[in-house]
Amino acid sequence: MTTQTKELVNFIQERCLWQFYSRAWDREENINGVLGQLGELLSNQTPKLETPMDRCHFANANHLAREVRSAFPWLEEMSPDSLTKLIGGVMAKLEEITITKSKNGELHTQAY
Amino acid sequence: MPMKLLECDTVIPERERHIYVKEAGEDTTQYLPVSNAATIPGTLSERGCSFCGAKLVIGGVLKDTIQMIHGPFGCSYDTWHTKRYPSDNDNFQLKYAWSTNVREKNVVFGAEKLLKKSIEEAFDAMPEIKRMYIYTTCSTALIGDDPKAVAKKVMAERPDVDIFVVECPGFAGVSQSKGHHVLNMGWIHDKVGQVEPEIWSEYTINFIGDYNIQGDTFVLKDYFDRLGIQVIAHFTGNATYDECRSMHRAKLSVVNCARSAGYIANELKKIYGIPRLDIDSWGFSYMAEGLRKVGDFFGIQDKVEALIEEEYAKWKPKLDWYKERLQGTKMAIWTGGPRLWHWTRAVEDDLGVYVVAMSSKFGHQEDFEKVIARGREGTVYIDDGNELEFFEVIEMVKPDVIFTGPRVGELVKKLHIPYINGHAYHNGPYMGFEGFVNLARDMYNAVRSPLWKLAGENIQKEEAL
Repeated sequence: MTTQTKELVNFIQERCLWQFYSRAWDREENINGVLGQLGELLSNQTPKLETPMDRCHFANANHLAREVRSAFPWLEEMSPDSLTKLIGGVMAKLEEITITKSKNGELHTQAY
Repeated sequence: MPMKLLECDTVIPERERHIYVKEAGEDTTQYLPVSNAATIPGTLSERGCSFCGAKLVIGGVLKDTIQMIHGPFGCSYDTWHTKRYPSDNDNFQLKYAWSTNVREKNVVFGAEKLLKKSIEEAFDAMPEIKRMYIYTTCSTALIGDDPKAVAKKVMAERPDVDIFVVECPGFAGVSQSKGHHVLNMGWIHDKVGQVEPEIWSEYTINFIGDYNIQGDTFVLKDYFDRLGIQVIAHFTGNATYDECRSMHRAKLSVVNCARSAGYIANELKKIYGIPRLDIDSWGFSYMAEGLRKVGDFFGIQDKVEALIEEEYAKWKPKLDWYKERLQGTKMAIWTGGPRLWHWTRAVEDDLGVYVVAMSSKFGHQEDFEKVIARGREGTVYIDDGNELEFFEVIEMVKPDVIFTGPRVGELVKKLHIPYINGHAYHNGPYMGFEGFVNLARDMYNAVRSPLWKLAGENIQKEEAL
């Protein structure tokens, strides 16, 4: 894990509730949805907002984009390729912490 | 080492799995306290029962609903008016306690007839009220009464009334958390979708997991009104029974207390496709963040920024006055669960206050994931803390102020440490911009009060001189 990935992961761990929803599938959906849009926003692209879930992810991603831009000025200097790699790394680490290696015994309970 | 066996727990070593001290570089894949587990025999738990979780926390807040407690009167009395959640209809829900007053003869011969009679008496005595919750309790669950059948019969005889039955006796789960769960799941499956609301805005939300403690809901409603957002249902602060039956018509579920009501938000998403957006409505910066997210969802960012600017102009100078004086204060939070993670960073970011110990009565591991991710290194994180542990942890971390309930509050007062009611507040509301200034003011008054030092002085000795 690069230093930049680590910084971003730590920031998200401290600030974002969407990574901690009740079940593994909710967490996975949010990590992919929010961070997918975060990557687009940081690359100055406009995410497609076709469904209510897209708009919900946008609400979280847009706020996060504002915050990380201010906290990590080095993001502005990143090339699109590096940014894609960074977001991929953050997604993988968050999935590891909140899903695959999580000690939360309720994550895979089928009912809410 | 990070899982900690306190000295007082040497005779119940199982407690080690429930207490964590965070160290540098650690995350929740390494250590996560066991939680939502049965209380270990011998520990002096501070937990409430499952019935209490359903009635006192969620159902009892509704402002137009008779709360019929099917059990001995104590179950009704002990969950009546101990939490201050007002309403805009003259506080109907705080004025009355209803009970079937089950006695020994009913346990022997059954209490369904008594329940039916009590329901009829209540509706007849309050003819303007047409909605009722019925709760089973330990005794009526054990004797096998069928309150759903009784409610069905009454509804057939009185077509203008509607009754919801919560079958969650005190023993149903390990803490009050089970009561939240049972009520949430029962409500979504039995009642949501039955009432069509009148829609007056294109922006519609459910606000989930706020119970109008000392007027929190009124603060939030003011923001949403100014933004032109229609709250279809507040679950359940200052809400009516029928508003909560129409939750299926909102475009977004905004969730504050994910522990007590995340279930219904999840089900609304699963059944009706309504997205769930979790926010923190405690905390000055958090409130702005939450409103911005709602603004981004509906595309009304300009309106939101204008509101935030107005609120900042009004309240930020006051908050900063307290921040200057509270910097470096050490705080402990011993409440239910979610306030640990809602508050730990909020007090640090907004007030410069450090949370040094936290204990949760009914949080699940999800709550500990959140609080450990947000909380400080060196802080003690406790699940289902007991009285002796509290004393030992106070010695370890020496907090300046403790946010907890009146029961534990009385204990810490005896140690001459100020306590603030972390459940029902001292002088709330605590939500929103204005609310966090209230919290700061209560904390300032607590830590600056000379009373605590004076209380420790031996005046008898001086009199003798």
